[in-house]
Amino acid sequence: MTTISQRAPSSEFKLLATPLVVFLLMFLGFPAIVNLVYSVSQVSFENLRSPQITGFANFAAVWNDSAFWQASWFSLRFGVLTALLECALGLFLAIFLSPLIEKRSWLLAILMLPLMVAPALVGLMYRLVLHEFVGPVPYYLWEYFGASFSFLGPASAFWTLIVVETLQWTPFALLLFYMAYQAIPKEIVEASAMDGARRRHRLWYIELPLMAPTIVVALLIRFIDGFRVFDNVYVLTGSGPGGSTASLSIYIYEAFFKQGAIGKAVAASVILFVLSFSVLYGLNYIANRRKGAR
Amino acid sequence: MTFANMRKGGLLALAVASLLASPAFAKVTVLGWPGGPEETALRAAADAYNAKPDVAENDKVELLFFNRDGFWDKVQADLAAGTTAFDANLLATYSIGRYAPFMEPVELSDEAKAVYGDSVLKTMQYEGKQYGVPTDLSAHFMYYRNDLIDALLKDDAAKAKFAEISEKHLGKKLEPKTPDEWTWDDYAATALYFTQAVNPDSPTRYGTVLQLKNLLFNMMVFQSLPRAYGANWMDDSGKITVNSDAYRKGLETYKLLYDAGATPRDSLSYEFAEANAAFASGQVAAMMQWNAAASDLTSKDKSPAVAEVTETVAPPTGPEGRFTHIHGLGFGLNKNAENKEGAKAFIKWLSSKDAALIYARNSGAPALTPDVVKEVATERPDLVKLGEFASKYGYVMNGGTSAKALSVYELQAKEFTGYWSGAQSLDDALKNTEAGMTELLK
Repeated sequence: MTTISQRAPSSEFKLLATPLVVFLLMFLGFPAIVNLVYSVSQVSFENLRSPQITGFANFAAVWNDSAFWQASWFSLRFGVLTALLECALGLFLAIFLSPLIEKRSWLLAILMLPLMVAPALVGLMYRLVLHEFVGPVPYYLWEYFGASFSFLGPASAFWTLIVVETLQWTPFALLLFYMAYQAIPKEIVEASAMDGARRRHRLWYIELPLMAPTIVVALLIRFIDGFRVFDNVYVLTGSGPGGSTASLSIYIYEAFFKQGAIGKAVAASVILFVLSFSVLYGLNYIANRRKGAR
Repeated sequence: MTFANMRKGGLLALAVASLLASPAFAKVTVLGWPGGPEETALRAAADAYNAKPDVAENDKVELLFFNRDGFWDKVQADLAAGTTAFDANLLATYSIGRYAPFMEPVELSDEAKAVYGDSVLKTMQYEGKQYGVPTDLSAHFMYYRNDLIDALLKDDAAKAKFAEISEKHLGKKLEPKTPDEWTWDDYAATALYFTQAVNPDSPTRYGTVLQLKNLLFNMMVFQSLPRAYGANWMDDSGKITVNSDAYRKGLETYKLLYDAGATPRDSLSYEFAEANAAFASGQVAAMMQWNAAASDLTSKDKSPAVAEVTETVAPPTGPEGRFTHIHGLGFGLNKNAENKEGAKAFIKWLSSKDAALIYARNSGAPALTPDVVKEVATERPDLVKLGEFASKYGYVMNGGTSAKALSVYELQAKEFTGYWSGAQSLDDALKNTEAGMTELLK
């Protein structure tokens, strides 16, 4: 009788990996194939089970749709700006508050509270906070300045959304940076102090370089989250007047569910996948080359 | 096997058998609209139906609810997937065309026409077939502050100011009128008069509040204005007629009010709740709003600042008449229903006079004919106006129940809000809407 221990390692690996592979094929592979078929088909809710293959018309429709590029531009700007703001603020707070948090660690729990709120609820909350007749912010602006500022109007909606997103997700960056800051070996910092390095020199030449990998990871994570934003934007402004605050996620959602243009929505998601994969592959390639060059 | 093990096994088998047997008691499963007066009303109607002696045990109604968020999309996905989770389901006027391929026409009771009337039954029809019983109707009322209007009508100096403002902004001298006599120009002039940015002496900050968020439901509120000038989605030959003077007039009127500051500057993110909050604050003189807001805006507890002075009339009139956009919620039959006969019987009963009165007495909003509504007039005075307005002024646009009706509203929302926000010209908005609707409704 052959036992598992007598088999070659490769057989064991195959045996153990099989459930995972089957799981991935079922839950990722199958939908991916269906998506690819839908992306080259004329398909709606009426003919979900019998889509008609029509070639690349859906891709052409997406490519020629100004709303797609408007949404792409919104997502890109939103992703870059929120990632930069959250990381800059998070880094500042992590370093500035570090001595305080070291002594009173419960402060960190309080600072993390915004992360516990679902983004859709954050959107709902700000709908109230910013409402001219209900919200506290417009109330005090009216009381003190006699003016009602438009927070969600065409000129200001984008920046309001940026602020809302930044307020919610800066604690995430703060947490990462605080952990990275704490992990810097104390002896290095002490040695530099002994050598007479000033505080700003320590920060610039020792601490920030040591935190650089964490900063890059945080920027990447926050960019991805910002780029695919949906919940709070959709709750606050919908897709905005004329689609001005539609992110790519909102564009795909609306094409799929609101317009019933399933093929077009799936084609947009395929384009998004290819673009994202290309960018990530490029970043990975650059990182590997830099590693090899050392 | 020990006795204890046998006993455990027996209990387990019994539990499994009970679980498997439970669908036999599921009877007729009805998917309803969750969490509002519609749910309360449906529960009362289902209880009444289940208590009827002639309803067999296997035909009793069991209700099913899921979250409102994305409700219509989820139902569509379920129906398209051939679900058997429910036998009858909620449907709306604007979703009938999308759901029709997965549903079956229904037979209503002989009383249905006398209970609801033709215009209301039409909200549940698609391609000439009845797909549901119209249990709840939504229409639009003009809400206004009678204290402000009364004061305006009595004050000669105010009348002169009113004429001056209307001439400056609308190009003609108008006199204040009672809201029941308003044309859309009278409404616009009144809104401007009660706006502090236009008339610093106005007792309210804004003359009106417009719901301008890029949202399909806001387009329904808007439609009654161009309709009063003869607007329709398409003519009898199927040609799209949205690029018309009527739509142009409606869009320009909204734009004029927005640009003049007669509505809050954040109106481009306003929908039902925000508009209600603005009106309830006492800082708005009049607004077009869904009938569903009436109970809140006239409640001393919920709207203390305006409850006693808020009144409602039908929307203003135009050269082609007076109109209120209506759409209904109702119940229809799932093509893949497991208990189809039971579901048919329930839907037929639901369209009877008895069922409609039970539904009305338990917070529902059916639009009933005058003869029927008088039986609940003391308990539900709001239904009297709803029924009257729906039967006199109710309309559904040509194509308003088509498979792409929701997409048309979505398209209009995107293009029209683009114009109101200043992101595109009126010509572009109408041209884009016409092209999009031609594609959607071909």
